[in-house]
This record gives sequence, structure tokens and C-alpha cells, in this order.
Amino acid sequence: MFRCVLIAAAFVLFAGSTSVHAQKQTIGAPPEASNMKLVGSNDLQARSAYQPTIHHQGDRWIAYIGHHGGTDDVPAPVNPMTGQAEPNGTSIVDVTDPAHPKYLRHLPGQEGKYEAGGAQMVRVCDGKTLPKGDPNAVYMLRTFGSQAHEIWNVADPANPVLLTRIGGLKDTHKSWWECDTGIAYLVSGAPDWRTRRMTQVYDLSDPAHPQKIRDFGLPGQEPGSTGAVPTELHGPISTGPNGNRVYFGYGTDKGGILQIVDREKLLHGPKEPTPDNLRYPEISRLPMSAFNGAHTTFPMLDMPVAEFAEDKDGKTRDIVMIVDEAILNECGEARQMVWFADVTTETRPMMISSYTVPEASGQFCQRGGRFGSHSSNESMAPVYYKKMAFIAFFNAGVRALDIRDPYHPKEVGYFIPAITQATDKRCIPVEGGERCKVAIQTNNVETDERGYIYIVDRANTGLHILELTGPARAVAGLPKN
Amino acid sequence: MRRAATTAVAVIAFGATGVGAYQLAPQPAATPAHWRELAWPFPRDGWPAGRAFRCEGGACDGAELYLRAKRGFCNCDSGVADDDEVDRVADIDLITPRFAAVAPGEVVRVGEMRGRARRYDLATYDGAGPAAVGIALSRRCDLFVAAARGRGDASAMAHAALVFLATPEIKSWAMAALDGK
Repeated sequence: MFRCVLIAAAFVLFAGSTSVHAQKQTIGAPPEASNMKLVGSNDLQARSAYQPTIHHQGDRWIAYIGHHGGTDDVPAPVNPMTGQAEPNGTSIVDVTDPAHPKYLRHLPGQEGKYEAGGAQMVRVCDGKTLPKGDPNAVYMLRTFGSQAHEIWNVADPANPVLLTRIGGLKDTHKSWWECDTGIAYLVSGAPDWRTRRMTQVYDLSDPAHPQKIRDFGLPGQEPGSTGAVPTELHGPISTGPNGNRVYFGYGTDKGGILQIVDREKLLHGPKEPTPDNLRYPEISRLPMSAFNGAHTTFPMLDMPVAEFAEDKDGKTRDIVMIVDEAILNECGEARQMVWFADVTTETRPMMISSYTVPEASGQFCQRGGRFGSHSSNESMAPVYYKKMAFIAFFNAGVRALDIRDPYHPKEVGYFIPAITQATDKRCIPVEGGERCKVAIQTNNVETDERGYIYIVDRANTGLHILELTGPARAVAGLPKN
Repeated sequence: MRRAATTAVAVIAFGATGVGAYQLAPQPAATPAHWRELAWPFPRDGWPAGRAFRCEGGACDGAELYLRAKRGFCNCDSGVADDDEVDRVADIDLITPRFAAVAPGEVVRVGEMRGRARRYDLATYDGAGPAAVGIALSRRCDLFVAAARGRGDASAMAHAALVFLATPEIKSWAMAALDGK
């Protein structure tokens, strides 16, 4: 009996201590991890980070990382390489040796704080892949705050050269660029459209001479329309000419829509932005709950599903993984999470499963900052494609999912970096002021063909390069490490 | 040129009679307006329900007003920057998805919140009234929105709505709602 009491007391003490640990991150504490480990890191000059794109460039691996604008406290951090205060823009980091990433260059972006400045988005294509590109060039497409899209030649990543700017916009965001055709789906805010974000389709096969193809959005967003304005675009992902589909995600944390579009009809159909012409390339829509938005719509077509292997029909399924974006700190909204849609019958897409980090596993609503999903890796390299997905989950770090059976996605690993002196606070309004906490805010994630996982932090903690360990490696078919 | 002239006239008319002048003394009316609270009449959507009121007496008699906080937008610095933003967020689409603005909006301010107000014509089938006013106010990354509809003069309705928004009770509730309480 006494032994039972002792065990119970010890359990309560242990639970209490882990609870305290889980609620508040401290500088210098070890990262929280399962089946993932840190390989290397870089502080990215303490700039709030968004999209990372990892590019195999000759015999080097280069990470191009977009940044949000600065903060109220530090609108333009000092670049230690130049000694100058520079508005957040693009970090260019040599990650050939992931254990020792080497910061090459900070390319300043638009002045402005948070979403109002910086250069959030980055995509990279080789000139030798683009139909009319200079074979010696490597092209980086980035946003310039809310004002413009820019194309730089980054053949020498430490010394980028500006080639083109597409300006005059009122917003930009998460664009997509097909490197084999040059077709780009630029998320823009055309001044005369009724929405902050829509699509401008460009032919960037010759990056020095952009050719506009058309504007695109949901009927009701176009110039001159009246009535309710549909949810704004977040970002598209194209399967290129072979797949002939573009998957558009609308919404952030509310009223999300997955729109499936026929790429050929989009590119070659009537271009005047009338309601009929905007509807013409659409195959179907999957409206989501008003509680959730669609930040990322990641297609995984023709996936074999083991459970259906003996079925006469439907052995493989076309799946789109939809990732919502949490916006409010400390769980001030409905949970933003990950959804899997079966779009095999394209005109009748259906949600089949979902995933969220269990809140109680880290008492994440009390940790500070945002808790919920934001984005997934978007690389379609074979190492992880259709096998594993990595989800940036703000204060719950990055989550590794086994998605081989998309009807039953399963978490197989996670990594929550430690906070540092650079980690910025996150505040909520309270009576008579604000209450702030400091926590990791894993914002975006990407993978490379080698299997390294790159996570970046919205709260200025920088870049962490990870690898899988233990059973998670087996899911991807990676050798034991 | 003609469009510019029309716009100018609309702005002058709107500003002089309604929204832009809400801080002035209320217009004379036979019976003072009183806003009586109703149950929130709309189905659940992405934002929590707000509060609904019906105007009794005064120039807004019979008008209904719907108020709520919408927390979490990305345009924290720019706030409600243009009329398109009012079209998108002001909850006019709760009344009907078919509406058309009748004039450019106006800058308005209620307490520490700044934003825009705009008048609309509605296409409704319930006979509730063809005129509406949408108001969107920002506080940092959050919005406080109002939609009013009624049969009377839209400018008078807008004026009455803004006067009501500026009352201590409503301002206090709006701040609490924006704080997530």
C-alpha cells in the first residue's frame, strides 16, 4: 500500500514537472524531439522566416529563405556581413555541409514590419531547365514585400543580380513556378481586383522577359463584380503539363476552398476576367469548414493504398493534402490542422482524414505564440514524396507524418527547437495591456533530395537542419543512421 | 470626368449627412432612436456570433444592426485600407450575397478604431429593406465590423449606427470582444 502511495506521489511530481517544462520554453534547454535530430543550424541574422527553397546547384546545395518584415522592436536588423541595418529580405545559405551551414548573403527586401514588408516567397529554377533560360544562369523568383515579384540570377549565390521586376501590386504571397515550362502562378494583388490576393499567370520561360498570360481568381473577385467576395487566394501548386492540374488553396484560417483547375484550359482558355471565363478551367471545388483555411494544397496523385490492394477498383487514389494556417496566439481560434482529400473522382472530392498535434501532449495552448499548422514541405523529390510529409506546427515544431495510407496518417516523429536570445515574444491582449510569452514558432519546412529537413522560425530563431532517426527512417525507406 | 464628378457628389452627400458627421449632434427627430437587442439571426460561420439590434424611433426606425469582432488578419499595419476591404469583411454578405455598393466609402473613426463605411443596395427577397451600410474598423490585426439594413434613408441609418457604436456600452463591449473575452 505504502509503495503504491509512493509511486502515485512520484507520478504526480513527475507529471507536474513535465507539465511546467512543457508550458514554458527556456533558453539553453535541449530541443524536444522524437525520431528527428538536429544536424546543423543558422540564426538567419534573427530575421522572421517564411518560405525555404533548397536548390541543388552544381555540386553545392543552397538554401534560399524568404523573410517576413521586421518587428516593432527591430524593424531592420543589422547584417553583420555589411554592418548595415537592412530590411528583411532573402537569406542565401550554403547547406552543402548541413552540419555547418554557411551564410552567404542577405538580399534586403521591402521596408515594413511583419506581413507588410520583407520578401516572403522564394522559388528557384535552373536556366538549363527553363525552355528559354540562359543555361549558365540560376534564377530565383521572389516576392518583394507586397509591391512586386522579382527575378534574380543567383548563379553565384553570394552575388545575385536583379533581372526583372513585376510591380504595381497591392499584395503578393505564395507563388508557384514550373521549372520545365517556365509557367508561373504568381500570387498577387492586382490593383483593380476586389481581393487582396489572386493569381497572375506568367510565362517566365525567359525570365528576363516575362510574358503575362492572364489574371485568375474566383468569380466575384474580378474587377467590376458586386456582391460577396470569395475567400482570397493563399497559393497554388501545379502538376505541370503531365498532370495538367493546378490545385489552388484559398483562405488562411477560415472559409478554405480547394479548387481543382484544368491547367490547359487555364493557360489557353478565354482570358478576359469575366465570371464565365473564370469558371471555364475549374473542374471542381471542395469547400472546407468555415473554421479552416487552405494555406497549402499539396497533390499526391496515383498513390497506392495498401488497404485497397485487393479491391477491383480504386487501388490507387489521388490525394491532396491541405494544410490550414493558424493565425491567433494561444489558441484564440478554431484549431488549424492538416486534412487529406481524396480527389480521385475529381468532380466529387471528399475529405477522408485529418491530423493535428494533440494539444495536451505539450500543453501548447499555454506555451505562447501560435499553436496549429501552417505549411508542409512542397518538394516532390522521391525521398519522401507520397511516403512522408512534414508539417510546420508553430510552437509544436515540425511534425513528421507517415502518409503511406492517407486514410490513416500517423505521426512518427517531431522536433521542437530550443528558443534562443533571438526568439521574439508573442503577445495577447489582457486587461489594460498585453501579456507576452516566448516560444518557438516553426513557420515553414522544406526537404531536399538527400532527405534533410529544413525548418525556419517565424519568431526569429533561425534555420534548423534535421534528419530522421529510428523507426521514422524506415517509413521513408532510408538506411539506418 | 463624369465618374469623378459623380463620385465627388456622392462623397459630399454621404459625408455631410451621415457617416462622416457621426460625432456631431444627432439630427433632430420626432422620437429619439433606441436600439433594442435581438438574438443573433445568422447561422454559425468562421467567426463567433456577434450582437444584433433593431432601431426603434428616430430616423433609423426599423433598421437592424449587426455587430461583431473579427480577430486575426494579416494586414495589421494597413488596417482597412480601401473600400474593397469593407466589401469583404463588413458582414453585408450575411444579409445577402447579392449587394452592390452605391458610392465610394468614407473614413470613419470610433474611439481608437479607424476604418471605413460604405453604403450598399441589397437584393433581398424577405422584404427586410433594400438599403444597407457596412462599417469596418481596425485595431491592430483585428477588425470590428457592423452591418446595418433598413428601409429608411441610408445616410441617416449610417449616422445612427455610428452614434450607437460610439456609446460607452458598445465601445466597451467591442474592446472586450477584440480582446477575445
